[in-house]
Amino acid sequence: MGFRRGWTILAASSTIALALAGCTNNNAAPSDSPASPAPSASATSSASPNDSNAELDKLGLDSNLKFKETRKITVEVYDRGNDGGSKPEDNFYTQYIKDGMLRDHNVEVTFVPVPRWTEGEVINNLLAANQAPDIGVTYDYATIQTYANMGGILDLAPLVEDNKAILPNLWGYLTETNINWDKDPSTGTLWALEARLNTLNRINTFVREDWLKKLNLPAPTSLQEFEDMLVAFKDNASTLLGSDADKMIPFSTSFDIGWRADHLTASFVPNDITDRDIFIHDFDDRHLLYPNYKEGIRVLNKWYNEDLIWKDFPLYPAGDQTEDNLMKAGYVGAFIHNWDYPYRNGNDSIHASLQKLVGPDAAYIAIEPFANDAGDYKKFLSGPVDRKVFFPASNKEPVASMLYLDWISELDNRVFLQFGEEGVTHEKMPDGSLATIAATGEKIMNSPANIDYTITSNGLDLGDPDLTVKSMANGYAGVDSRFIVTANQITTHEGRIGKNANVGAIQAEDGQGQALKEKRDTFLNKAVTASVDKFDSVYDAGMKDYLNSGGQAIIDERTSAWEKYFGNETMLK
Amino acid sequence: MENAIRGKSFSYIKRYWVLYAMLSLPMAFFIIFRYIPMGYIIIAFKKYSIIKSPLEMEWAGNHGFEYFIKAFSNRDFLYAVRNTLGLNLLDLVIGFPAPIILALLLNELAFKRFKRFTQTIVYMPHFLSWVIISGLALQLFAPSTGLVNVMLNKMGFESIPFLNDSGHWVVTYILLGIWQSVGWNTIIYLAAIAGINPELYEASAVDGASRLRNIWHITLPGLRPTIIVLLVISLGHILSSDFDRPYALSNTLVTDVSNVISIFVYNYGIRGLQFSLSTAVGLFQSVVCIIFLFGANALAKKSGERGIW
Repeated sequence: MGFRRGWTILAASSTIALALAGCTNNNAAPSDSPASPAPSASATSSASPNDSNAELDKLGLDSNLKFKETRKITVEVYDRGNDGGSKPEDNFYTQYIKDGMLRDHNVEVTFVPVPRWTEGEVINNLLAANQAPDIGVTYDYATIQTYANMGGILDLAPLVEDNKAILPNLWGYLTETNINWDKDPSTGTLWALEARLNTLNRINTFVREDWLKKLNLPAPTSLQEFEDMLVAFKDNASTLLGSDADKMIPFSTSFDIGWRADHLTASFVPNDITDRDIFIHDFDDRHLLYPNYKEGIRVLNKWYNEDLIWKDFPLYPAGDQTEDNLMKAGYVGAFIHNWDYPYRNGNDSIHASLQKLVGPDAAYIAIEPFANDAGDYKKFLSGPVDRKVFFPASNKEPVASMLYLDWISELDNRVFLQFGEEGVTHEKMPDGSLATIAATGEKIMNSPANIDYTITSNGLDLGDPDLTVKSMANGYAGVDSRFIVTANQITTHEGRIGKNANVGAIQAEDGQGQALKEKRDTFLNKAVTASVDKFDSVYDAGMKDYLNSGGQAIIDERTSAWEKYFGNETMLK
Repeated sequence: MENAIRGKSFSYIKRYWVLYAMLSLPMAFFIIFRYIPMGYIIIAFKKYSIIKSPLEMEWAGNHGFEYFIKAFSNRDFLYAVRNTLGLNLLDLVIGFPAPIILALLLNELAFKRFKRFTQTIVYMPHFLSWVIISGLALQLFAPSTGLVNVMLNKMGFESIPFLNDSGHWVVTYILLGIWQSVGWNTIIYLAAIAGINPELYEASAVDGASRLRNIWHITLPGLRPTIIVLLVISLGHILSSDFDRPYALSNTLVTDVSNVISIFVYNYGIRGLQFSLSTAVGLFQSVVCIIFLFGANALAKKSGERGIW
């Protein structure tokens, strides 16, 4: 009896021990599966039908571009954790993609959710553990570059070139420009494809339209007027908010000052800044290093000390809803944010909540108060690029993955994902444009126009520019189209579009992205909240630390890279 | 002779083999999850690459010490060391005696039900994660919307920058730490107090000793071995750092005091992908901790206590 019991314990424990040992082996030895060289697929467009059939055969495809044996790929999808959202990896739209890929290419697709607000960290972990999905998406090119330097990313250059003939939609939609945007000029390697950004809309300054009316103020068109308006909001808090007067926040912002003060800081940058100066100082995507940036922050510092800015802004981390809730409750007078921020998210939008909680007149409208030294309302826009799509070296199905990107770039598929079903998530207007209907339940879109699924595309595109613009305007369910038209017009008005000075990888940027971002946010927050007389010392100390911790090395390397490729020129073609 | 011993221990193992079989599980756990991973310490001395095994990676420059040199010439790292030491020392000085005092107070409570009730209440915060506590802290201490500050304002006082000023933040951090763990840490002291021979108290009562005298001459000496063991263990943690507590409570305004080593490792290693650097830092941290542990233990033994081994 005792013997038998002991025997069972021993057997059980050794089984568990073996299982555990097995697990660790799998996880801890990335060397077991070294980067497999991409099967060099070559279906050249000039080949005769027979040849191309033979070529397709080699890839395991039949003449309809279907794999003869089912292939399996995994695809990253952002998880936004939105209220009432569906499972990002399993819902109506993923089913549409899965069915389509199986039908058209005989490829089984599995989605891997990655939290939107910590995507960098999570993707890092997945890559380091060799468990990254076959198709990865990130906004952070530096991460891709770092892993590429370690040999962890597939070179896409031969894949897109050799398979050009079977990827008509991908090439047709992204074009040479976006496909080769990141191609290294000296080595020819290509670590990521740049998704296409259909609208360059970026940021807007919003103000409560009903407050302006109540106080009989015109929409401000200069910094001074804007400031006067904030002061007026503060002084008339009891008129505007009644018993909640003490909750008044004339201007709100977040710890991400760089984004949330963008139009203000851009107005302090000299109008005639050269492409060279932009490129050299462009490491930080919030334009921190642009000349005269400090003066924009000084204005915020002044406002903060005059109690015009939300006092608690530095305390709340990314993705926190506190500030949104203050806007929804109607306490916030003005703010700078994504170009359509108050109108996003259908029934849960700031706009919808305001109308529900405050009244039908309550609304934010985009304004344009910040002019630069030349009197222009200049905005620094990005190039037509958005997220970066990459294949980790562990991808065993590069051709199937490419066909996925092709499929997702196909017009009909894109339009379906952006608009969903007719009668459920959109209706057709008399003029042919489409209007989205905010859906709940299983057909809810977790991201605006499902951008999380259309990974090669951001922004509406119906193939016809006229229809696209009309559809965009009626694309915000429950929001008067004049708000959208105004926001859409102002956000790119007098904008300067980013150009691609493609000089290859800047080594000094390797692994610096997160640490420097952290430093930037920290010192900008400290500078804004410092007392006015301490502002200079706080800002300068922060900037010095930023430069000493790698910022200066990046500027220097960018300077010499510019000289190498463009010599003394100051402007790009 | 040798054979006899071997035979003896073999028969001993044979007799109690079931117990040994049961021991194999925890042993396997420690070997697999604690000892085998130690092999990867080697990453600290090599150039990390995601696709190579640690054995194949190239050695780092400067005889493998490149990343240690890099760490010690990094200002952020030095600040992180300073903050880790500072916060841990404060935790030790203020946080270590707190559960002892609380245990003594609880022990003196005559009304047993009230004692149990109080004990349960002070345990509770231990079960809250730091993420939740930081959420509570924001609701209570935020300068303009926090409950405490709103009340202060209503009473005509200025807001206290509990979370947004470095000096105040340290106090908030330490006190929240004590609030969270003090009840839990009293358990071990209360158990030790329960083990003190009651005859001692009876004898002192006969001698007419006061309560304070009882505490000073009986309870505290009875607790001494326990206190020493816990102190040695705490000293062993002097350079180790929590991640969740400082990370959850910190914000951009207080990073000059809140960035501890674990946050440095997170920012540079996991987010910045500098795995060799962060392994080097982790190794340094462990070595310092071990030195402190041995040192403290040796001191304890020298002063006539038992130490921890």
